Amino acid sequence: MKYKAALLLLLLLFFHGFSVKAIQRFPRPEFETAYSQPETLLPQARAEVMEVVDVVVLALSLSLVSWLVLKKRSRKGVFWMSLFSLAYFGFYREGCVCSIGSIQNIALALFDRNYILPLTAVVFFILPLVFALFFGRTFCAGVCPFGALQDMVSFYPQKTGPKLNGLLGMVPYLYLGFAILYAATGTDFIICRYDPFVGIFRMNASFGMFLFGGLLLITGIFLARPYCRFLCPYGVLLNWASRLSHRHLTITADECIRCRLCEDSCPYDAIDLPLTDKSPETRSSRIRKMAWIVVLIPALTFLGAGTGFLLHTTFAGVNNKVILAKQLATPANQQIKPEPFSVTAFRTSGKSVESVNLEAREVIRRFKTGALALGGFIGLVFGLVIARRMTGRWHDDYLPDKGHCFSCARCIDYCPVKTKLPKNTP
Amino acid sequence: MKQKTLLFGALGMLVVLILFMVKDLFLSSPEPGNNPWKYDLETMKQADTMKPAYTMVKAIPSGLQGLVAIATGPGDRIYTTGAGGAEIYDSACRLLLRFDFEDTAYALTVDSTGNLWMSMGDHVEVWNKTGKKLQTLKSAGRGSLITSLALTGSSLLIADAGLKVVYHYDHMGNMINRIGEKDPVRKVPGFVIPGPWFDLAVSPDGSLWIANPGRHELEQYRFDGQRLLSWGKPGIGIPEFCGCCNPSHFTFLPDGSFVTSEKGIERIKVYNPRGKFSAVVALPGDFDEGTRGLDLATDSRGRILVVDPVRKQIRIFVKRSTTSNN
Repeated sequence: MKYKAALLLLLLLFFHGFSVKAIQRFPRPEFETAYSQPETLLPQARAEVMEVVDVVVLALSLSLVSWLVLKKRSRKGVFWMSLFSLAYFGFYREGCVCSIGSIQNIALALFDRNYILPLTAVVFFILPLVFALFFGRTFCAGVCPFGALQDMVSFYPQKTGPKLNGLLGMVPYLYLGFAILYAATGTDFIICRYDPFVGIFRMNASFGMFLFGGLLLITGIFLARPYCRFLCPYGVLLNWASRLSHRHLTITADECIRCRLCEDSCPYDAIDLPLTDKSPETRSSRIRKMAWIVVLIPALTFLGAGTGFLLHTTFAGVNNKVILAKQLATPANQQIKPEPFSVTAFRTSGKSVESVNLEAREVIRRFKTGALALGGFIGLVFGLVIARRMTGRWHDDYLPDKGHCFSCARCIDYCPVKTKLPKNTP
Repeated sequence: MKQKTLLFGALGMLVVLILFMVKDLFLSSPEPGNNPWKYDLETMKQADTMKPAYTMVKAIPSGLQGLVAIATGPGDRIYTTGAGGAEIYDSACRLLLRFDFEDTAYALTVDSTGNLWMSMGDHVEVWNKTGKKLQTLKSAGRGSLITSLALTGSSLLIADAGLKVVYHYDHMGNMINRIGEKDPVRKVPGFVIPGPWFDLAVSPDGSLWIANPGRHELEQYRFDGQRLLSWGKPGIGIPEFCGCCNPSHFTFLPDGSFVTSEKGIERIKVYNPRGKFSAVVALPGDFDEGTRGLDLATDSRGRILVVDPVRKQIRIFVKRSTTSNN
């Protein structure tokens, strides 16, 4: 199936190239009123009706994948759906608006009253989360084009182990925090800035973007879905929603017979192994752990908040207004020569240095609060991760880790118990 | 062991990518003097790696202050005009005559007797080959800037970049009709002329061709104004016309092939009579940066004569295979 996938991926890239070649590098000029272009090959703004189509396709895809995972329990079905999503949401829609990037639209809309939030972005943000809340991360399984693309190249996935997963698993929380901070302060959409695959979908990006995406795909050959597991900020939200999911994928259709066949089936290390050997804890030990957790979580939250507050000027240093104010405040003999274009643009704008400083101060003020919240959030997450590791829950069968499981249904194929047996079967 | 190597290699690459993001976000400083919106033609010029099929065999230094227009006449004589004067050379490039006048001649064509028909901005003057003015035609009107002239047996064609139209006159200066005005009924799109570059020429088979630089096309018209066909595509590729508005000039080789010149990315190219690209004459490396106004003429031997206003030269290009004969 992997070779089929690789072949299909190549075909997609090949045919995608035709439309890209048709784009005019030099659009025809418009010098006169009512001058009509004889032919325009540049991408048009997406028609409203097509935006509705996109939303409908998203909803249908999520429904179909959820049905394939939960009812049909079909890995093949999920695979073909992920190919469709790669073609439609990836290469046809060129990866935008995507659910991952929509976090920033939502964050900016919450903090900037002047920003008009596109309805499509809202739907793309909410719908996968709603599905995750009920059925697990079926969006990751077969609708997200990023996941599908990485899945196609995952030829020799290696197991990373819980320690490395835990350590690298913190990166998405940081990424989410910074993405919200920078979007909310109107600084940058960093998820889009470091989007690894949009250049591949559009066949049009800087060399750096192609390199970034290419290296991540190479990494993905040996480390399954590296972006989804160790970078994706939207994955954090899906993780939370999925933990609460009422009907999540199960490895076995009925009772687990502990045959261990599924133990190595998950390339994402998202199967919770049985904890049968765990000896019962004493009451005093449980109380001691609980006390630690009660102290640790607020302590780490405050520590994080304090650290964030101390670093707020560093974080604000990414903002263009702050950068410009810093450049203008630099003594003449220490300034970058020739002066950056932003300084040249400022000098010709007629604005005063004082007005730039005022704007920069306002940005830094907003970063004070934002960085405090970001630090607190990261501290809290650290605390919760540690608490979770301290309190393993006893279970004697193989369960998908609801938070990290992408519901790809690979494990289902490994399970010999294919159907639910009738009650009272001996 | 092999699995561990693969795993740690992949993890290492992932960590490097994450570190790159951190460095790029927090530690990169603004690039000095870098204007991300600069209209930089240099990179586009570098794409022109095709070897020219023509080579320059002679560069005649002109005594004219501002060299603007060129034409060939009987006996392959070479005529040039510009600011305040005109020059006539024989086919071996020896100067025969230079005469002065007050204005700048923006366009030039030569009739079968060797008389010079010159655009003096808004009107046309006729001078004989000894430097005597014979006739002044009526001005086309306010805002007129005549940038190209062509003669046939009974017609004088005038390209007016200022009023964006071509006038069809008889030799006595009586207007017959106007050509190329926007007319949806006759499917004439009109000329898009953002700058003072608007050329026309009559092909060896007698058909009228007019450049529509804003549309990056050469258009064929009947003398009654009916638009017949057009060819040309925008783009930076060698077979295409680049920038906002090109070709700036064109003419015909004796076999009916088109010779075109472009500004912005300075290029001279040859297209066959059906408009299919056939050869490169000169590329940006052959000109000083910012050279514009590469007016063209050809002679009966197929030589291509180019006005280079920056170097103040008349440059003669010939096909590489025929170099030894010139």
